[in-house]
Amino acid sequence: MTREQIELGNVTPHNVKLLRHLNNVIFPVSYNESFYKEVLKVGELAKLVYYKDVVVGAVCCRIDTSNGARQLYIMTLGCLYPYRRLGIGTRMIQHVLKLAETDGDFDSIYLHVQVNNNEAITFYKKFGFEITAVRRHYYKRIDPSDAYVLQKLISHKRTANEGHKTKENKKKF
Amino acid sequence: MPSSNPLPPKENALFKRILRCYEQKQYKNGLKFAKQILSNSKFMEHGETLAMKGLTLNCLGRKEEAYEYVRRGLRNDLRSHVCWHVYGLLQRSDKKYDEAIKCYRNALKWEKDNIQILRDLSLLQIQMRDLEGYRDTRYQLLMLRPTQRASWIGYAMSFHLLGDYKSALNILETFLDQQQKGNNYDYEHSELLLYQNMVIYESGDLKQALMHLESCEDQILDKLTLKEILGELNLQLKQFEKAAKYFEELIRRNPENTTYYSKLIQARELTKPEDIVQFYLSLADMYPKANPPKRLPLNYAVEEQFRNLIDNYLRQGLRKGVPPLFVDIRSVYTDKRKVEIIEQLLLQYTDALKKIGKFSENEVNNGPKEPASCLLWVYYFLAQHYDYLQQTEKALMYIDAAIEHTPTLIELFVTKGRIYKHAGDPYEACKWLDEAQSLDTADRYINSKCAKYMLRANRVKQAEEICAKFTREGVSAMENLNEMQCMWFQTECALAYQRLEKYGEALKKCHEVDRHFSEIIEDQFDFHTYCMRKMTLRSYVGLLRLEDVLRGHPFYFKAARCAIEVYLHLFDEPLKDENTEQELNMENLAPSELKKLRNKQRKARRKAEQENAQAAQAQVKREQYHKSKQQGDIEADAPQLDELVPEKLAKVDDPLEQAIKFLQPLQNLAQNRIETHLMAFEIYYRKEKILLMLQSLKRAHRLDAANPKLHTCLVRFCRVLNQNKDGLDPIVKEVIEQEKVLLFNNKDAIQLNRDYLDTYCNSLEAVLEGAKMLYYLNPKLQSTALGLVTNLDNKYQDVNIKVCKNVLRSLKKGDFGQCDSQIEEFMTRCQTLFLHAVDFRSSSSTSVCESNHVPPDQDNYSSN
Ligand SMILES: CC(C)(COP(=O)(O)OP(=O)(O)OC[C@H]1O[C@@H](n2cnc3c(N)ncnc32)[C@H](O)[C@@H]1OP(=O)(O)O)[C@@H](O)C(=O)NCCC(=O)NCCS
Repeated sequence: MTREQIELGNVTPHNVKLLRHLNNVIFPVSYNESFYKEVLKVGELAKLVYYKDVVVGAVCCRIDTSNGARQLYIMTLGCLYPYRRLGIGTRMIQHVLKLAETDGDFDSIYLHVQVNNNEAITFYKKFGFEITAVRRHYYKRIDPSDAYVLQKLISHKRTANEGHKTKENKKKF
Repeated sequence: MPSSNPLPPKENALFKRILRCYEQKQYKNGLKFAKQILSNSKFMEHGETLAMKGLTLNCLGRKEEAYEYVRRGLRNDLRSHVCWHVYGLLQRSDKKYDEAIKCYRNALKWEKDNIQILRDLSLLQIQMRDLEGYRDTRYQLLMLRPTQRASWIGYAMSFHLLGDYKSALNILETFLDQQQKGNNYDYEHSELLLYQNMVIYESGDLKQALMHLESCEDQILDKLTLKEILGELNLQLKQFEKAAKYFEELIRRNPENTTYYSKLIQARELTKPEDIVQFYLSLADMYPKANPPKRLPLNYAVEEQFRNLIDNYLRQGLRKGVPPLFVDIRSVYTDKRKVEIIEQLLLQYTDALKKIGKFSENEVNNGPKEPASCLLWVYYFLAQHYDYLQQTEKALMYIDAAIEHTPTLIELFVTKGRIYKHAGDPYEACKWLDEAQSLDTADRYINSKCAKYMLRANRVKQAEEICAKFTREGVSAMENLNEMQCMWFQTECALAYQRLEKYGEALKKCHEVDRHFSEIIEDQFDFHTYCMRKMTLRSYVGLLRLEDVLRGHPFYFKAARCAIEVYLHLFDEPLKDENTEQELNMENLAPSELKKLRNKQRKARRKAEQENAQAAQAQVKREQYHKSKQQGDIEADAPQLDELVPEKLAKVDDPLEQAIKFLQPLQNLAQNRIETHLMAFEIYYRKEKILLMLQSLKRAHRLDAANPKLHTCLVRFCRVLNQNKDGLDPIVKEVIEQEKVLLFNNKDAIQLNRDYLDTYCNSLEAVLEGAKMLYYLNPKLQSTALGLVTNLDNKYQDVNIKVCKNVLRSLKKGDFGQCDSQIEEFMTRCQTLFLHAVDFRSSSSTSVCESNHVPPDQDNYSSN
């Protein structure tokens, strides 16, 4: 399996419905209109993944500044079942890590997973994420309803004298 | 010959300025100068000035005034070549070419050596294909301008087009001899030599053509064409070794061109399938990246060898994920054995991929797994495979499996729609195409396909809206599509309207398509000068020949057939006057119902008024748009054709004459299609033109004597003859007697029909026509006739949706008299045979289906 077969592409108003199709089959929860409106505006934070020219996965993130820190929150990251364990997840998470790194102004990356989602937990751990909290009844309509918070701290947040560069980069997303 | 009314120097100078302004498109200034002359009372009626004023006005779009001035000018100076020339130009701008030619000829009477007029005349002559006239004019031009290259070429070409190759070649040779010999040959010289070679080739002297080309090889810059012609000439001259060399070289240049391979096979004189397969295999080794040497042997190989080759070919395509793999392979499906082999392989792939991720379970231990998308492409292929074999349920099963596997592959939804289309449900089909379209709204191909499916489901408005995503903004999509000559769309629209019984609308679309063909022929005009100047003579001759057969294009056929069918229908059942119709109905109504009806009518009227208002608004916009366009492009102000108004078109007085207009090009250019002659028969049958009916029948008979539709024509013709036995002109009678032997074997209608039913008793399509005629000839035999077409037992080998639909249509049309209960039974029977076909559902369930246009349920393909 060569890496060239896996490529990232943009989410656009023309193909956003593909993202819906993906999310509908990959995730047990369904996302509302505002989710799909938002992903059209976040640029590099939302990406489709192509495997041999077919869309098979997607990642959507958001910048979260709610609790005093600047965090990159992964809303969804998933891949169609027949295409798992081929490095597609890796490609997506690498994209996210790189974004965080080039931005240089994030404290951490985090996400929620259902507590029984062992595949995802193994997957994220492999990329340095750790379980930092449990959120009871995080999910409303699915069972189990508890979620772990998986988090990865960004090791080398840039120092102040590099600040101007940061601003430039931020504009991109 | 000078004008009969010469101007003094001052006015003459002004006149010259008018001419210059005209050439430089400074029309307003031109009018100013004209005014200066004409306001002088001495020259108020000066012919040439008046004419030029008219011509200038024409360029500003003031057509009526233009004619007025030009004609007045001409009346005042009938012996002025300027006036005649101007009148010709005016007519030409209105596409009245015959009239324009007459004017130019008059102009030349008074000034026979005027180069400009001669040139203009020659253009019209070639446009109108007055080849002899063209030759004479080109001769005069050559005499007047013997040093110009174009004079020689034009003169030579006139002979070429007339088929006088010898004269054409003499002229070309004389011209080339005068050319200075040097070694700075340019592209134009090279093209001229290739043109010369074309003329030699067409004269039939292949040897000479080969010698000619070999002798000037190094002067020809288009090396590709050079090699292609050299290869072809050697091949036709049976100099196989030399030919083979050229085609080997050509394959090396472009190993994707399939014709080179078949030429090389001819050159190597390979005829046995084994040898041909071997040939391709060796080339596949030489060009491992090329497709033809892998694909083409599949047409020749059989059994085990075929299995091995197709196995490899399929695996490669599935691995790569080549979407059109099935379409690429489809042509071998004519061979049943090959279909079996392909099916076996694909089922094997499915199992093995599911179990171990390989194409075969024997390969457990060797090599890496196949890509994860392989199974998807296998499902996709199988869905198309079973669809092709009309096994709808299996096709649906596999396409659903594919969608479950990868719900993001847009092609899957297109295929699902296509399966429903083939299964007879255009509404469901349309729904899936709409889904496909919504997944990538930037894909124009899918967008067009979706529009087409909407039209097949008779949803014209929706189709237009979908197309609007890609048409220009600010104009209605319908209008923009017309402007872009988007003929597939317009023809499908016409067919939808025909099904919806909106005959006027249907005709409008058909006429629009017809006009596109006229426009394309008009557009030729610019090339007469352009090609001559650019020396692209071979393409030019190719263009002229294409234009000559333009309406032979299938697009024209389809639109013309629709128009003819509609006109025939309008002849058989002219549109009734709506008011009298309603009066009649009202007489039989109870008061309460009458009230309801009145209410309904009122609403309908209000709606119609609103629609009219909207239409009027749209019309205003349209006119503004056209105006703005005209101002931008004054030169191209084509004459405004009559607007096509659906209501008027549907209320046609002479439907058969109109139908003939659409028919005539087909009779010239589509004489190999039997439908042409069958349609001709239907028209002349209604016009009661016995000899023309006979002519159509003879032509159809020659193409396919067993054609079912032809049979009904023959039977009806037989009966017409019988009925007119005594009234016929003796000469006509004699002609018919002669032809009867060929057409009917001297049988009478009843015998003819009986024999036909006997001979083709295995074909429902044929029996349908025979049974129709059974009832037609003797209504007492209704139940026999009905029995023949409604008992779908296994004696018929062609019980498919299409034929059954034709049976149903015929039953409903009354071809078998009153038969409501049989219709119902027949529909029920067909419904069990064709589960998805909407035509056999009772009318209540279809209407549900039609309105049931909702996007597909998302739960349908949630997986794992
Ligand atoms: C989690 C997920 C995105 C992983 O995607 P993927 O394309 O299969 O991941 P990769 O192939 O890149 O796997 C990278 C590594 O993660 C680990 N991993 C991934 N899935 C695993 C599994 N099911 N079991 C064990 N390890 C696993 C492995 O170490 C793997 O490396 P390897 O294949 O070389 O052993 C995918 O399983 C998924 O889409 N799940 C459903 C959606 C979801 O739960 N998303 C998380 C919430 S946002």
